[in-house]
Amino acid sequence: MSRSSHDELAGTTTVDQPHALRFAGVVRRYRSLVALDHLDFQVGRGETLALLGPNGAGKSTAIAILLGLQRPQSGTVSVLGTDPRSAMASGKVGAMLQVGGGSGLPHGVKVGDLVAMTTRLYRRPAPVARTLERAGLTDLADRQAQRLSGGQAQRVRFALAIAGDPELLFLDEPTIAMDVEGRRSFWSMMRCFAGEGRTVLFATHHLDEAEAVADRIVILRKGRVVANGAASAIKAAVPTRRLRFALDGADLGCLRALDGVDAAAVHGTDVVLDSFDADATVRALVQTGVTFSDIEVTGADLEQAFVALTGDLAEVQTVDEAVAPQASGSHAGAAA
Amino acid sequence: MTGLGTYLRFEVLRLMRNFRYLAITVGFPVVFYILFLHDEHPATRIAGTTWRTYFMVSMASFGAMVAALNAGGTRLAAERASGWTRQLRVTPLPGWSYVSTKVVASVVVVLPVVCVVELTAWLLAGVRLGIGTWAALTAVLWVSAVPFAALGVLVGFVASSETAYPLVTALMFLLSFFGGLFSPVKALPAVLRHIATFLPSYRHAALGWKLVAGHAPGLADAGALVAYAAVFGLAVIWRHRVEECRAFA
Repeated sequence: MSRSSHDELAGTTTVDQPHALRFAGVVRRYRSLVALDHLDFQVGRGETLALLGPNGAGKSTAIAILLGLQRPQSGTVSVLGTDPRSAMASGKVGAMLQVGGGSGLPHGVKVGDLVAMTTRLYRRPAPVARTLERAGLTDLADRQAQRLSGGQAQRVRFALAIAGDPELLFLDEPTIAMDVEGRRSFWSMMRCFAGEGRTVLFATHHLDEAEAVADRIVILRKGRVVANGAASAIKAAVPTRRLRFALDGADLGCLRALDGVDAAAVHGTDVVLDSFDADATVRALVQTGVTFSDIEVTGADLEQAFVALTGDLAEVQTVDEAVAPQASGSHAGAAA
Repeated sequence: MTGLGTYLRFEVLRLMRNFRYLAITVGFPVVFYILFLHDEHPATRIAGTTWRTYFMVSMASFGAMVAALNAGGTRLAAERASGWTRQLRVTPLPGWSYVSTKVVASVVVVLPVVCVVELTAWLLAGVRLGIGTWAALTAVLWVSAVPFAALGVLVGFVASSETAYPLVTALMFLLSFFGGLFSPVKALPAVLRHIATFLPSYRHAALGWKLVAGHAPGLADAGALVAYAAVFGLAVIWRHRVEECRAFA
């Protein structure tokens, strides 16, 4: 008797844990490739967290593990006080995954019927009409699922993710392939939903989204956390500063050679330098004796911080070439 | 359990609303039945029954196979390609139930096809059987379509969305031709007669042929179909496992 009441107590403690999910020393390898390398972070209940990182940093793997679609080789993952699979089966978790080229939706069904069917898979779902409204689909309920535009299909997948009225929502690059207006309306829907005390974790490549939407940002690099905090804190922690000034006949080679400079760009007479030691760069600039004017030093924006934290040196040095459109370039653009 | 029922209903409704699917599964056997009917004298007898009755069974069997193969194969491949299967995996619906629901739905939709072929024969060819024989024939052709349903789902797992349709079509015609559904097995050369006995299509129709001739369905036929269902079913489970374990994204 005393034993069972003890167990009950223990159960209550688990439920009351302040975090919605937690990674502790999680390792996931694919043959020789290490996708997650002792990953440690947690997300508090009610928090909205953005997961950032270059391709291959482990974002999708982390989400797959949180959903119970993959198991880590070592370490522990807890989701809503239990293991990922149980959390998923309980219906308290919703997710919107990447779908590659497809729409992610079946054929031969109306949007409203699809949402209604999905709703019935959950034990304590939101009313169908409510879900359609939250995802901005009320007017599309009678549309066939295969006759939707990309952005509309994305909204339907959002509706499917929230149909179960989840406490915890995962979004893996939810606005990929959306236009600017689509992204804007998506995040306003999402913010409404998250505002009701839910926990949201999303992975994205759009740093502006992370900064605008998330309470906190975790940046991954090669399967490890390299930054964890509010956007402002991450930016402040990075020594990178941006220097702008006017200079006639600027020599890109000389500018790059200045102390502390890791990227330089010249547009006409405008010069932009990214430096990890602004003081040293300014001193070196003065010593060259060139007559620069209108100098301005600003702190790193999130993109610069991201590059500083995740880029290899080689990648950082290509930053100034991003002025011209670049084919690869997930890290490019800091000089834009 | 409620999730399973919900998804099964969803699958069957979607199939029943799919015009192209219905046109192929119901249209093919009915049209073939009517076309072949004209060539034969009503009194022609074969295998202990009239040719019209015999061929009705052949076409009902053909229809059952077409319905079951198409329900799983092409659609599952398309849903894997579109990402719908992955979306379902992040709902409380257990992974195995998606697959088993596909097989069950593919069996469910066989029933109307068998009935329509029988009705065509009754109306247009004057085929008359005892009520008990009709019921037994329908039930036998329906339930024993399980191997085709499992085979269809297997194709859906193995093939891509581009290759699934041609693969299903090829299987459909190979199985029906070599299984003796279009020309009676007895009219085939010895080698083909021998091959036919190894095919689930022949075994499926043979259950019905024996029934309409007034015999009990053969144990060997039923046993062969159970074996096929088991082999295809295990292959489906294996492919499903592979798919679930496969690297994500």
